[in-house]
Amino acid sequence: MEVKEVKILSAKFDIKNAHKIETAKKHGAYSTLDKLFSMKPEEVIEEVKNSGLRGRGGAGFPAGLKWSFLPKDTGKPIYLTVNSDESEPATFKDRYILVKDPHMMIEGIIICCYAIDCHESFIYIRGEYTSQVEILQEAIDEAYNAGYLGKTVDGHDFKLEVTVHRGAGAYICGEETALLESIEGKKGQPRSKPPFPAVEGLYGCPTIINNVQSIASLPFIMEKGADAYKAYGTEKSAGTHLFGISGHVEKPGMYELPLGLPLLQVIDTVAGGVWKGRALKGVIPGGSSTPVLLPEEAKTATLDYESMAEHKTMFGSGGIVVLDETVDMVELVQNLIAFYHHESCGQCTPCREGLGWMLKITEKILSGEGSMADIDLLRELCDNIEMKTVCVLSAACTMPVRSYLDKFRHEFEAYIQTDPSPHKKQEQASP
Amino acid sequence: MSDMVKLFVNGVEVEVEAGKNLIDAVGAVGIEIPHLCYHPALGADGNCRMCLVGIEDGRPPLVPACKTPAQEGMKVLLDAEHIKKIQRDVMELELINHPIDCPVCDQAGECSLQDYYMDYDQRESRMTVAQVNKNKKMDFGCGVVHDQERCVLCGRCVRFCREITKTGELGIINRTDESRVNIFPGRPLENRYAVNVVDLCPVGAMTSSDFRFQQRVWFLKKSPGICHGCSKGCNITIDHNRQKYEDDIIYRLRPRLNQQVNGYFMCDEGRLSYKQQNENRVTQVLIDKSEASINDAIQSCLAKIENSSSPLILVSPNCSLEQLVAIKALADQIDAPISGYSDGYIKAGDGDDYLIQDDKSANRAGLNLLEIDTTKAKFEERLATADLLINFDNDLSLSYSDTELKEMLSDTVIIALSSQKNYLTDLANILIPLAAYSEYAGSLINCDNILQTFDKALSKNAPLDDAAIVAAKLGGPMKNATDIFCELQKLIPALSNTELQNIPAEGLNLNNSEASNVTA
Repeated sequence: MEVKEVKILSAKFDIKNAHKIETAKKHGAYSTLDKLFSMKPEEVIEEVKNSGLRGRGGAGFPAGLKWSFLPKDTGKPIYLTVNSDESEPATFKDRYILVKDPHMMIEGIIICCYAIDCHESFIYIRGEYTSQVEILQEAIDEAYNAGYLGKTVDGHDFKLEVTVHRGAGAYICGEETALLESIEGKKGQPRSKPPFPAVEGLYGCPTIINNVQSIASLPFIMEKGADAYKAYGTEKSAGTHLFGISGHVEKPGMYELPLGLPLLQVIDTVAGGVWKGRALKGVIPGGSSTPVLLPEEAKTATLDYESMAEHKTMFGSGGIVVLDETVDMVELVQNLIAFYHHESCGQCTPCREGLGWMLKITEKILSGEGSMADIDLLRELCDNIEMKTVCVLSAACTMPVRSYLDKFRHEFEAYIQTDPSPHKKQEQASP
Repeated sequence: MSDMVKLFVNGVEVEVEAGKNLIDAVGAVGIEIPHLCYHPALGADGNCRMCLVGIEDGRPPLVPACKTPAQEGMKVLLDAEHIKKIQRDVMELELINHPIDCPVCDQAGECSLQDYYMDYDQRESRMTVAQVNKNKKMDFGCGVVHDQERCVLCGRCVRFCREITKTGELGIINRTDESRVNIFPGRPLENRYAVNVVDLCPVGAMTSSDFRFQQRVWFLKKSPGICHGCSKGCNITIDHNRQKYEDDIIYRLRPRLNQQVNGYFMCDEGRLSYKQQNENRVTQVLIDKSEASINDAIQSCLAKIENSSSPLILVSPNCSLEQLVAIKALADQIDAPISGYSDGYIKAGDGDDYLIQDDKSANRAGLNLLEIDTTKAKFEERLATADLLINFDNDLSLSYSDTELKEMLSDTVIIALSSQKNYLTDLANILIPLAAYSEYAGSLINCDNILQTFDKALSKNAPLDDAAIVAAKLGGPMKNATDIFCELQKLIPALSNTELQNIPAEGLNLNNSEASNVTA
């Protein structure tokens, strides 16, 4: 496969004013609706299933399959919630869609809602996206005025309301059940599962929660068909993905690539390679919660769900972070735990108490006060906390921390053996 | 009886109630699953993670027992090494920021965290970094004092205020290990059941300002009882103790589970009603305000009854059924009318739709059962012609002002048999102290027509006679408990084929079965 950018989701990203409905329509927005309404909802679900589209929020659950879990004839309304919380550090793909081509997502919402018989949809957007929410709301207003949303979608006998709900800045509200709690006006804390949202979600009704990018992929699948989508990517990881490449590369940015490309080649050819001619120390493949890859592991890894799982990490959200040789992994871990500790909702014991403890232990090691036992304790706590909690936030912290401890243990030990660490000493010497 | 299912706990087959969550279902057959946040009255929350159990061959293999219904054939793992490790690990995390206040903490001795540490952890602390510091003493109002550091954030108190009282004063603010239970600024607890959060709190985070630092709980004797604070008859535990050189007194009342009457809770007013058992008691026999012996007083009473042309007997609506039977028999014996007038015990509009009743007396239904007249008109009519009033603990000062009483009783000889000092005991020609309800056994009928029995809880240094014994001493024909019970059996058909001790712990609902045919 050629390591080269493709333009499916990002087709209109470079077009000026594509967030405006006139421009967007000129370039094909809402053109799939006639075809959509000529199909049966089951046929739409089948088409999406066939396309192999997987949830782009991080977990990679097949989108069409998720829709088919909705219970039939409950007498309750079905809701669609679009997860635009995008709060995973190093992830910035959805904001491009929200800002550059919001009508693609709105069209996707119409497609999804028609398929699952939903007439009320919510877009949960993270609180920090202040300018983005304005553009999004403007696009929704345009869509209402143009008749694509409201009582009769595009003149068809189909009602659809779309409401934007702004978060207040909590990472955990990206977790789908915390997101639902937040929309309901409660404290954003994850619910115990089961019941899963498809059965009992928003206001106790069956609810589908999809990521922005998953929804935005639908117009292409409708227009060109499942096979055209499957032509990109690998057999099990079909399609394209927006990758946010950041960290120590020459050309950081957002790139759309088919799934399955070799990780290192992407870094070298698409993102210009490690900056300043430095050596590569590690790669975070899909947002801060994914376990780090060593350079030799990165050599064999490809950008798809299966390869990442084989390398004992996760594909995640497409937020690739390149770490060069100067990175202090202990400081990185401290930064990482500090984030997840700060964002722990505080509901359940292991995460609430454990992440704070892990942070303090790491700080102790960083300050030169640590001992070998502290490293072992930190490593043990990763196991003790993970999967004992209501949601996976704790795992989002312990999985990467475990990977740094296992792969870069010598750096932690160095802090204990040479007290304080060499570069800390330098800082202290020259204030 | 609900449906039963068979499942396996640690490989052993047990039969449990279907549909119940695993904590309750398995708990009913005596197998404990540790838990802090779950409470049967408040439902499952799933935040403490202490109740994680393994489900063999199950998906997922690890589940919170509080949220998992018992199902046929389920293979529950509790003693597997990996489950024991999880319990230890979660305990460790519960404890890292928990202050070692046990030596000064009121909860010590009845603290889930303490007990679970002994049962499931017993390891040395590995906490070598600074603990999270929070507020140690917060006045939440209604006599509830909160210590945020001891709190395990189980949220029982929060859920109680949301789900039971529906007042929602409490919430958990902040995230992470900075989470803490708090009230809104200037909006303290304001409900009549607030102190229940102290009982609900599995640790010492919620303490009662009334009980704080009064007693170590392991010194307390825990006797079952029935609250006499109103006609609901909430089941209580009377926690009492006789300290060295002191008398046996009550330190607190706590609600005791009775699903038919009060569930898990009681009101704050009832909870503090124990003070009447400790304080302001009549302890000295007085004849014309001079100290006398009980025998002299009885002799003196007998003489007064003998000389009286029209005596009147007044009974308290708090008297037990047994006492009422004995007193009524005495009235018949001496040919005196008997009244149970006690309108002053009723605070119209004070009750709510939960536990608190307007009627602040414990056994008005018993008065009605014995056909003892309670009307004001009859009482006043009889009092006007009476030359002797024998008052069995009816606090008339609740029904009349002091001046009214003085006026009404100006030319009546008063024999007051009383547990509590009140205006009438000051007026009495003969005053005989009586035992309070924690000092005798008896039975009551509550506002819902449920017959409940209670035992003697306290053993005073100088035990006092209860009203039934005094009635016998004054010439009443009911000389012992057997006589009284035979009489009760005649009055209450539901009792005809049973013994007092066979009355179910939840009480006997007289509205059910043949009891509904009771001729009043």
